[in-house]
Amino acid sequence: MKWRKIGQIFKFDESPFKNRFISHAQSPQAIVFDDFVRVYFSTRKKDISGKFLSYVQYVDYNKKISKIINFSNDEVIKLGKIGCFDEHGIFPFSPLQYKGKIFAYTNGWTRRVSVDIDSSIGFAISDDNGETFNKLGDGPILTSSLFEPFLIGDPFVKVYNKKYYMFYIFGEKWIVDSKVKNPERVYKIGYAISNDGLNWEKRNKKIINDILGEDECQALPTIIKIRNQYHMFFCYRQAIGFRETKDKGYRIGHAYSDNLKDWIRNDSSCSIKLSKDGWDSKMQCYPNVFECNDKIYLLYNGNKFGENGFGLAILDY
Amino acid sequence: MKWKKLGKIFTPQKVKKKYWLKNFAQGPSTLIFDDFIRVYFSCRPNPDKDGKFVSYSAFVDLDKNDLFNIINISQKPVINLGGKGCFDEFGTYPISVIREKEEIWAYYGGWTRCESIPFNTAIGFAKSIDNGVSFKRLGPGPVLSYSINEPFNIGSARIRKFNDIFYLFYVSGEKWVIVNKKPEMLLKIRMATSSDGLNWKKHNKNLIKDDDNHNESQASPDVFYHNNLYHMFFCNWLPSSFRKTKSRKIGYAYSTDLINWIRKDENIGIDISSKGWDSEMIAYPHVFTVNNKIYMFYLGNEVGKYGFGLAELEGYLK
Repeated sequence: MKWRKIGQIFKFDESPFKNRFISHAQSPQAIVFDDFVRVYFSTRKKDISGKFLSYVQYVDYNKKISKIINFSNDEVIKLGKIGCFDEHGIFPFSPLQYKGKIFAYTNGWTRRVSVDIDSSIGFAISDDNGETFNKLGDGPILTSSLFEPFLIGDPFVKVYNKKYYMFYIFGEKWIVDSKVKNPERVYKIGYAISNDGLNWEKRNKKIINDILGEDECQALPTIIKIRNQYHMFFCYRQAIGFRETKDKGYRIGHAYSDNLKDWIRNDSSCSIKLSKDGWDSKMQCYPNVFECNDKIYLLYNGNKFGENGFGLAILDY
Repeated sequence: MKWKKLGKIFTPQKVKKKYWLKNFAQGPSTLIFDDFIRVYFSCRPNPDKDGKFVSYSAFVDLDKNDLFNIINISQKPVINLGGKGCFDEFGTYPISVIREKEEIWAYYGGWTRCESIPFNTAIGFAKSIDNGVSFKRLGPGPVLSYSINEPFNIGSARIRKFNDIFYLFYVSGEKWVIVNKKPEMLLKIRMATSSDGLNWKKHNKNLIKDDDNHNESQASPDVFYHNNLYHMFFCNWLPSSFRKTKSRKIGYAYSTDLINWIRKDENIGIDISSKGWDSEMIAYPHVFTVNNKIYMFYLGNEVGKYGFGLAELEGYLK
């Protein structure tokens, strides 16, 4: 299994979004239509206090993913009302095509006082082929619980054998360290199961082994079935120093499973390396794998968490 | 029904040498022992430099034969505050307990601070193996949290067990309303059921019909079984005006099945006093039986800043 890089396919500062938003195109996630591929991502605005909010937009590509053919012009999904879990942003936004409908699982976040943020997972439905989404309610469908106390987020949902599987992350701790100004989070990948996509049973289990020690942060799982095996891609990093130090920043990891429950981590067999220079030379994060015209693609962000867009790779196998 | 006020039982300002117990004795709830009754309440140290409070839960023990006789005060809070970033980092208030075999189980409101609104709450769970003197959490997160139709402010929990099923009566935030440029919470009474006390199924409906203008907040749903009926005493107020009127009230409803409730606030039979510690509000009731008498603890002015008092039911509750 080897990823062949196609390169940066979306540059924020050369897009029409730069007139409406300030920066970023983070966590690209694709759904495939008959004639085009739609890639949702989260971008940013500033509020009156100067702090940022994250909003969902999309860009459409031809089926070869070689050309941009359309951009979202309007609001794709509203941010939450005052006090709601998604008041300050939706990032990431994970679409699901199932039985002819388009749903979205959202990572809503809100600002806290003693720590930067908290997050929970919301649910929305589209009635217009994925152009806009309406939430089913003001609250989340998956949030903190007895053994997963905070930072529930990064949902990715697939239906296998009529069961819904959600892979997501949960916070384990906030590290207070004299070397950093604000507490830094540690989160891990877990999963939940559902019969209807709405009512979820958490398995309360960390499913991916750490390779950087117990403070490894794991984020944004994405799953694809290739032949008879399930493959998960995700990103991981050190808990402290990841913003400024290249060696501590996000990399893309890989694990495989025969049953979606037990995962074997195997970063080396399927890794995608940092480029020598350019847009993904310091960091690679927020992967999304999808299939289009019998090819398997990987969307991901590069340096600075996707400040200036995202790139694409194709699987040779 | 008619309640006879007996007077104030506990005044936090009289307690010395406990930095964490300076003001407030809120959300009283009882645990009955052979010789005494243990009354849990929530209290606060002085505010921090930004004027913000944390809240702790503690107890006083009252002589069963003379409820005005305080025989013991908890040496320290019954549960510590939650860890960094947790739902209960800034408060454990209120607390409601139930005896379960040899243990005491507690359900409490955990408080965290937010940016756009002052706080958010969810319900935590802890156990005691020393008769309710100290409690330990089962995990760092909440046992009842937000959901699609209960987006925030899950709290004010009361734990009960009827016919071997656990019932949690609690409130959920419906929205934050802006009054004089400040967000005020609009809360409604809700219910969840459980067979094990840990895994809860939400009923997902308001239990108590709103007052006429639908702008009321409800809290403290205290359910009491007596004479083949379930009686609920609760607290209600108007977010639009309570800062000015300083008023909160006690409401009443009854039910035969715990699901359908008939509201009869006019039957409550207790009101504010003309002067003194409960002249502005009576709020956050808790009803219990001791020595075959039915009593109510309730808070007075400034939501229990100066403690809680006692009333005794005259006649029958039916």
